[in-house]
Amino acid sequence: MKPFSYVVPKDLAEAAAAAAQPDTVLKGAGVDLVDRMKERLQTPAQVVNLLPLRRELAGVARTADGAVHIGALTTLTELEQHAELQDPALQALRQSAGMTATPHVRNRATVAGNILQFTRCWYVRSEAFHCLHGGRGPTCLAVTGENRYHAVLGWLDCVRVHPSNLAPPLLALGAEYTTTLAGKERRRALAELFPAEPRAQNPEHTLLPGEIVTALHVPKQPAGARSAYCESREKQTFDWATTACAVRVVLQGGKIAAADLVLGAVGPNPLPRPKAAAALVGEAPSAALFQKAAELAFAGANPLAHNDYKLTVGKAIVRQALDEATR
Amino acid sequence: MNARTPQEDVKIRVGYKALPGQKGDRLEERTVKPAAGDAPPWDAMTQFALVGSDVDRVDGLAKASGRAKYSYDVTFPGMLQAMILRSPVPRGKLTALELDEAARMPGVQAVVALKEVGNKVRFVGDAIAAVAGVNLHAVRDAIERIRAEYDREEHNVDYLVADDAPMVDEKGAISEDWPADEGMTAALLEAKVTHDATYRVEVQTHSSLETHGGVARWTGNDLEVWLSTQATFGCRGELARALQGKKIDVGSVTIHSEFVGGGFGSKFGAGIEGLALCLLAHAAKAPVKLMLDRFEEHTTTGNRPGALMQARGGVDAEGRIVAWDWRSFGHAGFSASGGSVAVPNYYTADAKVRRNHKDLAIDADPPRPMRAPGHPQGWFGAELFLDELAAKAGVDPLTFRLNNDREQIRQDQWRFAAERFGWAAARARANEPGARLLRGVGLSSARWGNLGNPGRPAHGITCRIHQDGTVETRSGAQEPGVGTKTMLSVITAEELGVDLKLVKATVGHTGDPSGPASGGSTVTPSLAPAARHAAFLAKQQLCELVAKHLGVPAANVTCAGGLVGLGKEQLRWAEACKLIGPNPIDVRGQRFANYDSKPFHGSQCGVQMAEVEIDSWTGFVRVTRMFGIQDCGLVIARKLAESQVLGAMIQGVSYALHEQRIMDKRSGRMLNGDFLRYKITGVRDLPELECHMHSIANGHDSVGAAGLGEPPSVASAAAIANAVFHALRAPVRHLPITPDKVLKALAQKG
Repeated sequence: MKPFSYVVPKDLAEAAAAAAQPDTVLKGAGVDLVDRMKERLQTPAQVVNLLPLRRELAGVARTADGAVHIGALTTLTELEQHAELQDPALQALRQSAGMTATPHVRNRATVAGNILQFTRCWYVRSEAFHCLHGGRGPTCLAVTGENRYHAVLGWLDCVRVHPSNLAPPLLALGAEYTTTLAGKERRRALAELFPAEPRAQNPEHTLLPGEIVTALHVPKQPAGARSAYCESREKQTFDWATTACAVRVVLQGGKIAAADLVLGAVGPNPLPRPKAAAALVGEAPSAALFQKAAELAFAGANPLAHNDYKLTVGKAIVRQALDEATR
Repeated sequence: MNARTPQEDVKIRVGYKALPGQKGDRLEERTVKPAAGDAPPWDAMTQFALVGSDVDRVDGLAKASGRAKYSYDVTFPGMLQAMILRSPVPRGKLTALELDEAARMPGVQAVVALKEVGNKVRFVGDAIAAVAGVNLHAVRDAIERIRAEYDREEHNVDYLVADDAPMVDEKGAISEDWPADEGMTAALLEAKVTHDATYRVEVQTHSSLETHGGVARWTGNDLEVWLSTQATFGCRGELARALQGKKIDVGSVTIHSEFVGGGFGSKFGAGIEGLALCLLAHAAKAPVKLMLDRFEEHTTTGNRPGALMQARGGVDAEGRIVAWDWRSFGHAGFSASGGSVAVPNYYTADAKVRRNHKDLAIDADPPRPMRAPGHPQGWFGAELFLDELAAKAGVDPLTFRLNNDREQIRQDQWRFAAERFGWAAARARANEPGARLLRGVGLSSARWGNLGNPGRPAHGITCRIHQDGTVETRSGAQEPGVGTKTMLSVITAEELGVDLKLVKATVGHTGDPSGPASGGSTVTPSLAPAARHAAFLAKQQLCELVAKHLGVPAANVTCAGGLVGLGKEQLRWAEACKLIGPNPIDVRGQRFANYDSKPFHGSQCGVQMAEVEIDSWTGFVRVTRMFGIQDCGLVIARKLAESQVLGAMIQGVSYALHEQRIMDKRSGRMLNGDFLRYKITGVRDLPELECHMHSIANGHDSVGAAGLGEPPSVASAAAIANAVFHALRAPVRHLPITPDKVLKALAQKG
């Protein structure tokens, strides 16, 4: 076993200093990292436990400008139940947090950890398979292998899907994220957290070594804003989505004045679908309109040998999310 | 009850009283001749104090609180941990195996080869060598230093493309001609309506929560093994034979298996992990623990095999089945056996019938028995075929069953279940045109036949009564969680007429009398009469002591309701037991052969019904409710019996909708060998479940009980598949019924 040092920081500065050292991984709840280390898929020299920083990095608060500040270490249960989030505009966040994994996991798992998840691809996650994203081989094995849970959209040379179910609603709500790196804070649009070109060699996120996500920010939603998150699965208890959709619409005078639509679990990144969203704007909600948006959301899809069902299912999930958001 | 031994013919009443809401008892008289010394038979008229009531599981609290110690929990000072090196190659030959470097690694105490150079490697996961060391990290490091090389051969893990697999068309239907049979051709030609369809099921793994393995400890040439097993005595013999070189015999081996975290048919043998454990402990001269990890459990300990099945058949103008032709192909792993499929035979008594099965070998872990081996697969295919045939003939599925089912017990069960479930109304309910959610109901029969291991007098039970009034009932057989301890306690307390709290049942130590493996639903019918006989003998001894004490003739002393005595001269149980002295009453009951006379019924009957709700947009199937009626002979502990039935229904939901082994064809390796991607039904996926235990006095031995491992496992997936057919008005002929298949069925229907 490769020995590793375990850092329990007293404050963010100490965590950041440790995080900057080579061959270091950051641990939130450790829901997945502990498993990967036990399986020796990840063998860092140093693990920095961020949980002692919960006092400064956890919690939900409404800021003066009406935005919602979500600490990176806020648990999914806190997110689901927090009083500041009981608002129809933020329904998608609560729905997503509340349907993740199991109550045990939700009580422990953190918001940042959920967004920064490593792929669940079964080729990547077994050292027996020499695949490119796993760093063990020349190509993606899932493209030509068993790919019923893999990508149908936005893939280049690796058909992994991004497993986060909080990322789609946060993107749909226009969220930003703050990081700290070498003493500097930066706040950017959430989309920048994901690689512009999700190639096999790229990690799931764009964080630099030593960079720590400290918070998410959901901007103040306009009057009439509503959101919804839906996902398809093969079972209701503890399963990953086969497709997911988060939508945010602003309803004015019975019409959709603005819309955002983001797909999850269908590509290597959570995927904003601006053309589908644009088709909704200026229209009154209707089944036909939602069908049209669903078709646009999956326009250009490139399914694999075993996952074309995701197109049918995914379109249904888009329609359902739009229906729930405009009901 | 009189404690005198009957030696002559006894007249008993067998059968059952009318089910609730039905008229007419189905009772018959039988004359039976119990063996000399056996307890007199219980029958349909017996009034029980305890049997059939809602007692709690006797070890439920110990299990729920963690006090129960499973093999996984056993630990000793200085105990080593161990792992097995597994083949990454699905087929080939071991060409090099160097263990020296591993043996020199820090913390490593023993390394053993499990294959020799030149041996065949049969599947990904085949055991090559094993290492024991001070902790799992050290062991894993050493495993990584073992140099194993292979001469790799071409492999195949898809039985549908095996050399002798049948031709299949693009829709998955067998396209090969049926073998010629003039009689069958004629029967099909005469039929008014015929049907022909292909069905398929995927591989399900047992997924016991406690994995295979255990702890071994040697003391000189004596070996003790705490083993997670369904067959303590089988494993004892297996290990003794395998370890003959270590100068031991069967008498030197003791197996302990007091609590087992599930087996479902996968744990009949000690296996390579059991042998490795003992070899390592011998070599290291220290206790060794070796428990498989979840991936090994999924990939090396057997499975319920996949199968491709085709049926064709026809009905006459009256809706009676006149022809039934069946062929099936089972995936059978490298052993090329164990993939067989069973189908119901009670619908086709007057039909021209043919059944063929062929096992197809692939380079993968072979099947092992799993709850009603072959049955859930075959019943799925056969019962869905019957519903499709009934639909073509324009007959309601229930009417179709009633027209064709030749078993009286199930005729009553069909009607009872239909009433309870509200079949007619649910079946008549039409889905609104264009509705997103589609509802449907379906049904299936079940059958399993086993009345114990008669003629195995070696199977026995020890019963002890102590002077403090406590009672022990002991079996060396194991209990993989099914309720055996509770069953033994209830039988013993009933026979002695004492409070259940005074009885302590212990199982799983091979120093106690032998019992069967937990397979084929044989434990309850094998051991319940032995437990009763043991209590019966112990009671006689107590009666004799009391008779002597009271100065009355022993023959007329009774022991019931916590009192022992004659007429007005009665001692309380506690007082009577004080006469026993320091050594307990200590007797051994035996399992006599079943009575010569015909039992009321030779097998167990059941019926299940299911309702589903399908999201036609996403293809997601939710089972909303299920009802089952199940016969198991005499119901001994009602709540536990129901738990066995409900558990089987849950496993059936999982089999019908979720579970499947997914293999990577190129590497021959399972892709979803964990509990994240191998999907097992969880609480939010469960329907409302209800069952009715149909207690039948069977009259085959002094108790008349049958087991419940198999019988309730047969029908569930078939009933769900039929409900899906009803909801969609199109069949999904391939388990598990995942959303992609539902959408395909809807698209094909148009």
